[in-house]
Amino acid sequence: MTSVLAQLEQSGLATWIRESGVLYGYPLILFFHTLGLSTVVGLSAAIDLRLLGVASTIPLASLDKVFRLVWAGFALTAATGALLFIADATKHASNPAFFVKLAFVGGGVATVALVRRRVFHGQQHGAFLAAASLACWLVALSAGRLMAYVSEFIS
Amino acid sequence: MNLAHLHLLLNHVPTIGFGFGIGLLAASLVRDSEDLRRASYVVFFGVALVAIPAYLSGKAAHYILQTEPDLAQDVVTAHQNAAMLALIPMEIAGFMGWLALWRFRRWHPPAVLVLSIVAVALMARAANIGGQIRHPEILGAGAFAYAPPWPSPAAMGAAFVLDNPWVWPICEVLHFVGLCLLFGVTLLVDLQMAGFINGVPLAAVNRLLPWAMAGLGINIITGMLFFLAAPEQYTQNSAFTWKMGLVLLGGLSLLYPTMFDQEQASTFDMLHAASTRKLIAACSLVIWIGVIFFGRFLPYLGME
Repeated sequence: MTSVLAQLEQSGLATWIRESGVLYGYPLILFFHTLGLSTVVGLSAAIDLRLLGVASTIPLASLDKVFRLVWAGFALTAATGALLFIADATKHASNPAFFVKLAFVGGGVATVALVRRRVFHGQQHGAFLAAASLACWLVALSAGRLMAYVSEFIS
Repeated sequence: MNLAHLHLLLNHVPTIGFGFGIGLLAASLVRDSEDLRRASYVVFFGVALVAIPAYLSGKAAHYILQTEPDLAQDVVTAHQNAAMLALIPMEIAGFMGWLALWRFRRWHPPAVLVLSIVAVALMARAANIGGQIRHPEILGAGAFAYAPPWPSPAAMGAAFVLDNPWVWPICEVLHFVGLCLLFGVTLLVDLQMAGFINGVPLAAVNRLLPWAMAGLGINIITGMLFFLAAPEQYTQNSAFTWKMGLVLLGGLSLLYPTMFDQEQASTFDMLHAASTRKLIAACSLVIWIGVIFFGRFLPYLGME
């Protein structure tokens, strides 16, 4: 496992991301990662707030289209996240904050999918799912942001 | 043109702008005019936004001037402390002004009047001390006399971040929470205005806007703490200047969905409003993505 990660980290692409020092390398990937995550988390938070009773005059059906953008944002975040991961594979793989983040991103994605299926295309009242979704995103965001500090702390 | 020029350009806006806003608010009370009152809230909100770069550029001006041998450092410090003490009530007044615009239907918090008067008095004091930095002819009994009895939130904020190593990471987390709220809600509002979301009026979507404003508030507070703790990291960085310029524009663009959310009666007005909304939505989207761009590129771009 470790050798696979080390190989990944030493690949040409990973080395380029890490060491090229150009603005369209690591910084640009990081920017798209931020743009993607703020789209995913921001839009699902807005939907969750609606399900929790904020702006209750918005008809739910009108928000159904928004999920497409949430998934597009997620695709962008996941793709750029994969690039950022391979650039520092062994470092991230030894960082507990990274796994907390992954777990809660999984939870967030699952709640968004459930909200769409059970609330938008079902009969379920979405308050509990919405609260769970907000909590997942909050933990994922915090763990992701704190990764750099945790890795500094444990090394 | 450098940031010291910008400070000279902006530094009269908070005092004069809020004075003007208070005049409008007073006139609206005398004449019982809803329109004048809303105009005063727009002034408070806009001026509160401009007051932020006015404060930040002052720190940049200080950096430029600090090598001057005859610069009165204690007067500069007193001026900065006084400015931050005035900025806080000014931001709260601006936020409450926005809230009154958003609630629209005859909700007039007396707090706006009280806070704006407090803010303009404190800002006038800050301006007066600031004037003494370059105008020794009006220097009175010595600036050190100002320092002790007045609380200094700027120094307290900087010490809070620098003395507690956990504050910076926590503020970064909160800065991202604020960013997601602000970007998510404005994106949804922009999608409605651009015509991407059907079957829902703008007046319904804009009920979410206070959450965007809460995000903006969180980010102004946490961002200001970063700035106070490490001012040179920001004043000497052109990406930060761009970011702040765009935040100002983005904040102002929030006024449109806040104030012009009613559907038009005639077909002509409806079409006209639709194209205006598309334009505003496109601008707002570009602006906020630009804010994220320059924020993210801050450590890589524009360092001297």
